[in-house]
Amino acid sequence: MSVYLLQAEDLSIQGEGVTIAPFSCALEAGGRLTLLGETGSGKSLIAQAIMGSLPRGLVARGRLLIDGERFAAADGRSRRALWGRRLALLPQEPWHALDPTMRAVAQVAESHRHVAGRDRRAAHRAAWADLTELGLATAGSKLPGELSGGMAQRVAFAAASAGGAPIVIADEPTKGLDAPRRDAVVELLARTPERGGALVTITHDIDVARRLGGEVVILRQGRVVERGPARQVLTHPQSEYGQRLLEAEPGRWPRPAPLGERQAAVVSARGLAKARGGRELFRDLSLAVSPGEIVGVVGPSGCGKSTLGDMLLGMTPADNGDIHRAVDHRFGFQKLYQDPPAAFSPHWRLSRLLDDLVRRHRLDRAAIGPLMARLGLDDHLLARRPGEISGGELQRFAILRVLLLEPCFLFADEPTSRLDPITQRQTLELLVELARERRCGVMLVSHDPALIERICDRRIALGDGRLREVEPELDPALA
Amino acid sequence: MTTLTLHATRRWLPALSPRQGLGAVLLALLLAFAWLVPWLFDADPARQQMTRILQLPSLAEPLGTDHLGRSLLARLAAAVQLSFGMALLSVASAAIPGVILGVMAGWRGGWLDRVLGSLADACLALPGLLLVLLLVAIAPGNFWALYVGISLVLWIEYFRVVRARTRILVASPQLEASRLLGFGPLALFRRHLWPELAPQVLTLAAFGAASAILAMAALGFVSVGLRPPTAELGLMMIELLPYYHEAPWAMAQPILVLFVLVLSLNLLAGRDPR
Amino acid sequence: MSVALASRATPRWTAGLGGLLLQRLFQAGLVAWMVGTLTFVLTRSLPGDMAYRIAAGRYGHDMVNTSAAEAVRTELALDQPALGAYFGWLWDLVQFDLGRSLVSGEPVMAELWHQLGHSLGLAAMAVLLSLLLGPPLGLIAGLKPNGWLDRVSEVAASVLRALPPFAVGLLLILIFSVSLGWLPAAGHGRGAHGVLPALTLALALAAISSRVARNAMADVSQSAYYAFSRTKGLNERLSFLRHGLRNAAVPVVAYLGVQFVYLIEGVMVVETLFAWPGIGHALVHAIVARDVPMIQGTALVMGLMFVALNTVVDLLCHWLDPRRRI
Repeated sequence: MSVYLLQAEDLSIQGEGVTIAPFSCALEAGGRLTLLGETGSGKSLIAQAIMGSLPRGLVARGRLLIDGERFAAADGRSRRALWGRRLALLPQEPWHALDPTMRAVAQVAESHRHVAGRDRRAAHRAAWADLTELGLATAGSKLPGELSGGMAQRVAFAAASAGGAPIVIADEPTKGLDAPRRDAVVELLARTPERGGALVTITHDIDVARRLGGEVVILRQGRVVERGPARQVLTHPQSEYGQRLLEAEPGRWPRPAPLGERQAAVVSARGLAKARGGRELFRDLSLAVSPGEIVGVVGPSGCGKSTLGDMLLGMTPADNGDIHRAVDHRFGFQKLYQDPPAAFSPHWRLSRLLDDLVRRHRLDRAAIGPLMARLGLDDHLLARRPGEISGGELQRFAILRVLLLEPCFLFADEPTSRLDPITQRQTLELLVELARERRCGVMLVSHDPALIERICDRRIALGDGRLREVEPELDPALA
Repeated sequence: MTTLTLHATRRWLPALSPRQGLGAVLLALLLAFAWLVPWLFDADPARQQMTRILQLPSLAEPLGTDHLGRSLLARLAAAVQLSFGMALLSVASAAIPGVILGVMAGWRGGWLDRVLGSLADACLALPGLLLVLLLVAIAPGNFWALYVGISLVLWIEYFRVVRARTRILVASPQLEASRLLGFGPLALFRRHLWPELAPQVLTLAAFGAASAILAMAALGFVSVGLRPPTAELGLMMIELLPYYHEAPWAMAQPILVLFVLVLSLNLLAGRDPR
Repeated sequence: MSVALASRATPRWTAGLGGLLLQRLFQAGLVAWMVGTLTFVLTRSLPGDMAYRIAAGRYGHDMVNTSAAEAVRTELALDQPALGAYFGWLWDLVQFDLGRSLVSGEPVMAELWHQLGHSLGLAAMAVLLSLLLGPPLGLIAGLKPNGWLDRVSEVAASVLRALPPFAVGLLLILIFSVSLGWLPAAGHGRGAHGVLPALTLALALAAISSRVARNAMADVSQSAYYAFSRTKGLNERLSFLRHGLRNAAVPVVAYLGVQFVYLIEGVMVVETLFAWPGIGHALVHAIVARDVPMIQGTALVMGLMFVALNTVVDLLCHWLDPRRRI
């Protein structure tokens, strides 16, 4: 008998243009392993290969030892009987992973009944007990559509772990959650190893990896770049990629050049108030953005960050208060979007979209080339459609499009939250640099306080003080 | 910058899937048959020859004759022309207002949306064929009553699909971004709405044409549609039914043609968007 | 955040059951008004002297004289100005006074009552048969999209959808009655008479419902929640029963409402083909004979049947999908 709860030897995955190089790991009771990497690094596939749930066309090789039993990785079906009982998988997007037509408590109870083998009554009692323990006593009789992202994550956790599996694999458990909720999930995950289980976490978030501790493996393009104890890898990485990844953490970014003297505001607001769905978002809010200034906005999900920006742009009316815009020209107020592909029609080549803009505003074509070079956009990208280039490239193209109109105010609504850390840093640095240079005021929304703290000249925190008394988690639309 | 314009291709109509391609080929063959036959053969769909009734296919009559000695070749060609012509006409007169009203309702919202929505609901209160039947009862055997009835039923689908899609797109970041960049309604429609709507409109048009053809044939079949001696597929079937024993091949022809016509349109439609 | 805004923009199912039923009641009123108005236009637009024609129909061509025609004229209010006559016409309709058939002279209500039973029997048989054929086939095909069963049933459905119900009926008659002599082709009486018409309708309905069920099941079986139900430890059977069936059933049942359009249309054609003495057959006959009160009565009953069936679908959806009860 091995001392390990979970052991993988030379686990590799192949097929359909995917190659994951042989990967080995070993976790004893109480062990924690975190796979860290950007999108496309193959970290989720490793989890699926352990589970035996790889999509059709992908084949795993190597040997696995799970809770004392040996398996050939290639035979995925052999692990089917372990699901829920010895191997638990926390799904990527809990909101979608819960049956939309079944109440939360029933989804937990069925695991107790059919996986753990309790009778109907005991299963229901156990489900309610689980939910109460997770602070979800009121949410049990709700449907997933009525839960917030954080609540759905906890329900999914309860449903997945009701079978008492000692090994838990969590696939991007903090995706789309804001900072406080992210920390809560980390605490929840840490329970498994604390109770003598083993935890494998897959994440792109360095902070999550740091908080979980244990062993960290950095993956890139299907290869292990670096591995070791979290304390060591996440403070003094040896590999070049590991160092870049760490450098991309907002806390380590260089501070931007100082703003210099504040000039007359490009947009200012006084006594703003807004309510939505009968709930007050903010009241008596005043602010001003100077040319070239970066103003950061932070706050929990649903606190009205986007609404505030849209009000400054004149797209959403305020309930109260007035907004004054120093109108340079009609199109001087622009916006960058959270999800770059969503901000473009997917059917046209970028060249066509750029052409439209040039023609509409009779722009000087000579200005395009140098700006593209500044943004690191290659000419050949223009022959592609928005879905055919990476998110980072597309966001930089969005910046190009906006800057060609020489705006005086730019509202950037979480412009990098869907990008990988390294791309995020590169994109934001460019944005700040260009904004300073072109005297364009920027209002930057982010759910990452460290990022705002680092690059912004000023900070607005929404959703604090008296607005705290509304529990945001009660509203399903907010997560 | 010349490369910019060179690379930009027009994408007014969506690319066809293999399944849709098969439908397009079948339809093209059938239409070629319908329009080439009167041109190549001296065939009159109404000419009766009582001496040559229910004849087997021969060189002179490649598809044989019916119970009145009329050339089945000529009658089938005429029937396809009639069915397809009527389908095209009613699809066009349903799609154009349907799409325009749908975009208006989805874009503007408010009272306009509510008024148009109620109008569509009212047209849907009765099953389509029943409405067509009542209109046809007012003007029996009249092509135009049939056409108005079918168009009145068909426009609603375009309206509903286009309205729902438009409503989503108008609220989307992509449209908002372009609007902020200064583009007007026409440019927004061309760049953002039409590329999304076109495949769905094409699908609805193909399905709509198929249901128009089926409706006309159904009414002809129960003798409340067009009147004899018009060459119409449903009518031909019911006329030839009594002679099934003597001339099964004659009976099979209109059924087969209707089948291929509707099948080709259904294939062309691709996946049902509903 | 953008997701949150989008979900707010789309209307939620807040209408509730009461609102839904109210809408259907309104639709029933609309059906009555449309049928009444169209048949009224019909009486006014008939060629020739309407009263003479109707009198001829009622008393025979030899017996018609001016006084008989005058009597009819007064009865149908053909001598009154159009607007007044229109409201009189609608008022009769509101009181369920549908008049007498111009052909048989019997009260329309009595005839309808008789025919409705036959039509409902046929429709029920057809729907039941189609539900036994279509959705189970679709669900199994949807569990393995692009498997052999999926492909075969897709081809079968494409063929059936391209054949109108009357052509399917014709083929069934030719196969089972004329060639094999197993089943009677037309008429009504023994149970065997109902088999072919019901099967004709059922095949047309099943062709669509099998594909709807297949797509619904394919969506469900590829969904994250279906995958999660399996990874959390439920076996295939339990996953299918607890998470597959209900979620796939919602679109299938919702689509039944659309299918009832085909059902009502099919009833008209299939009853005529098989000489089944139901509402659809009567409607077609009434149109051929220009029996206006019967046209009104039969169209009204078919329209109301459509509304009633859709109400049943609404109730079923409401019961199946808890999201609608929030």
